[in-house]
Amino acid sequence: MKNSQRLTASFRDPSGFLFSGNGSIYRQINQAYHENYQALMESGLYEKLVSENLLIPHKEISVEPAEPSLAYKVIQPEPIHFISYPYEWCFSQLKDAALTTLAIQKLAYQHGMSLKDCSAYNIQFHRNRPILIDTLSFELYHEGEPWVAYRQFCQHFLAPLALMAHRDVRLGQLMRIYIDGIPLDLASQLLPARTKLDFALVSHIHLHAISQRYFAGKTVHKAKVTRRMSSTAFLGLVDSLESGVRRLQWEPRGTEWGDYYQATHNYSLEAVEHKLTLVKQFIDHIQPTSVWDLGANTGLFSRLASNQGIPTVAFDIDPAAVEQNYRACVSGESTHLLPLLLDLTNPSPSLGWQNQERKSLLERASPDAVLALALVHHLAISNNVPLEWLAKFFASIGPWLVIEFIPKSDTQVGRLLATREDIFPDYTKQGFEQAFKSLFTIHRAIPITDTERVLYLMEKHKDVRENFNPS
Amino acid sequence: MNILHLPVSFAAILSSISTLLLTNEAYLDPGSGSYLLQLLLAGLLGSLFVVKASWGKIKGFFRHLFGRGEETPPDEE
Repeated sequence: MKNSQRLTASFRDPSGFLFSGNGSIYRQINQAYHENYQALMESGLYEKLVSENLLIPHKEISVEPAEPSLAYKVIQPEPIHFISYPYEWCFSQLKDAALTTLAIQKLAYQHGMSLKDCSAYNIQFHRNRPILIDTLSFELYHEGEPWVAYRQFCQHFLAPLALMAHRDVRLGQLMRIYIDGIPLDLASQLLPARTKLDFALVSHIHLHAISQRYFAGKTVHKAKVTRRMSSTAFLGLVDSLESGVRRLQWEPRGTEWGDYYQATHNYSLEAVEHKLTLVKQFIDHIQPTSVWDLGANTGLFSRLASNQGIPTVAFDIDPAAVEQNYRACVSGESTHLLPLLLDLTNPSPSLGWQNQERKSLLERASPDAVLALALVHHLAISNNVPLEWLAKFFASIGPWLVIEFIPKSDTQVGRLLATREDIFPDYTKQGFEQAFKSLFTIHRAIPITDTERVLYLMEKHKDVRENFNPS
Repeated sequence: MNILHLPVSFAAILSSISTLLLTNEAYLDPGSGSYLLQLLLAGLLGSLFVVKASWGKIKGFFRHLFGRGEETPPDEE
């Protein structure tokens, strides 16, 4: 295929790799993986996993492989709307991804196979449920062998979940530093002593760390190891990991469940209703194919888009808000809304080998419309970002912008300025409009009832739609 | 034994069995510790799994032994 290009996320696996071409993503399966792929497809495992929404469906396709000399087949997986990474997931998202991985491993074992990779990056949220996207993660299981992906499961799932549950939920961010999961000796040191009373944690983290340290630098002659992993021991290992993961709990604190938005904002009911109506009107005007809600909180406004079937990503800096949003999505079966954790002042960077293995936020996608509600004052005042820079940032994301300006006279902004010098003379409605006018056309600017806030509908200059009627 | 001292005891066990499994060649295999830990815990994990899977039967057995059998549903007529 002309212009086919290997993707940088899947270079490690000799079984195959992802490549792009003709606007689609394909996965080349190498000859080296021939036997395992046949086993996956013919054992009934693929069918079972797909029917239970545990593995991304694919079709075999006759396009030219990216590396024909290695190729066995090319498959085309169902596309994922937005690729997210473990350090962008809330506690329950990582926990659900862990349990999905173990459910897959149990089914694989029943079909004579086993997961050879347990990377958390192989799980993605597809229609808001975790699903394995790496079709080449399976291998034929040889009776008596331990689980080769055990270490990776503990580093990618069990260690971060245990740290988030038992020490601090923010320690999930260690996944951003350690691309192959949190080293178990570090997790063992950071976990409180009480975790040594939990069988799963003492076995799979504390003793695991000791075992790794002890055997590091020593050669193990596998031929001399006479001990084998019985069937019950193998299933017992997976069951022990599953029980351990299920026992880990984290509850968002500080606010009442379901009352998060009202509890942390000073809106009157009329103001909220008016803002909801306006945002809905603006979305209806734009008719976007995808939306990012930046500073989405628990996703009240994100749902105005996702409930219409528009794929929407709801980003927030607060792990509690993302957790509540995700749980509400799961219980309400919101399949078009993906809540994610993100600090906009320090968004996910490019990571890994040559800084290309994991993409930065803005490299991954470009939404049709951005919602930035009750956000600008945090970026402009708390983080000192000049308004012109904010306009450039939003212009770099997508063509349409629904943005709220909150003046200094608002109590929320007053709170931010209460303990610091006001060094923001341009932070006015006029200054805001001036900064954004250089890059955007302001189609609407409507004051929100019962507040001093203004909601804007803006469109980037170069992308003016011919049939747009801003009446 | 205080369970908090487990890791110390575990290191002693690793030490005693390592002579059977290891040579002194300088070769680093970061997966060895994870590989061998599974084999070392295999018996325990297997036993716990069997007990867990049969827990209902075990409870039933003891209930029967101590004369606290489950209530039998009334006969349907």
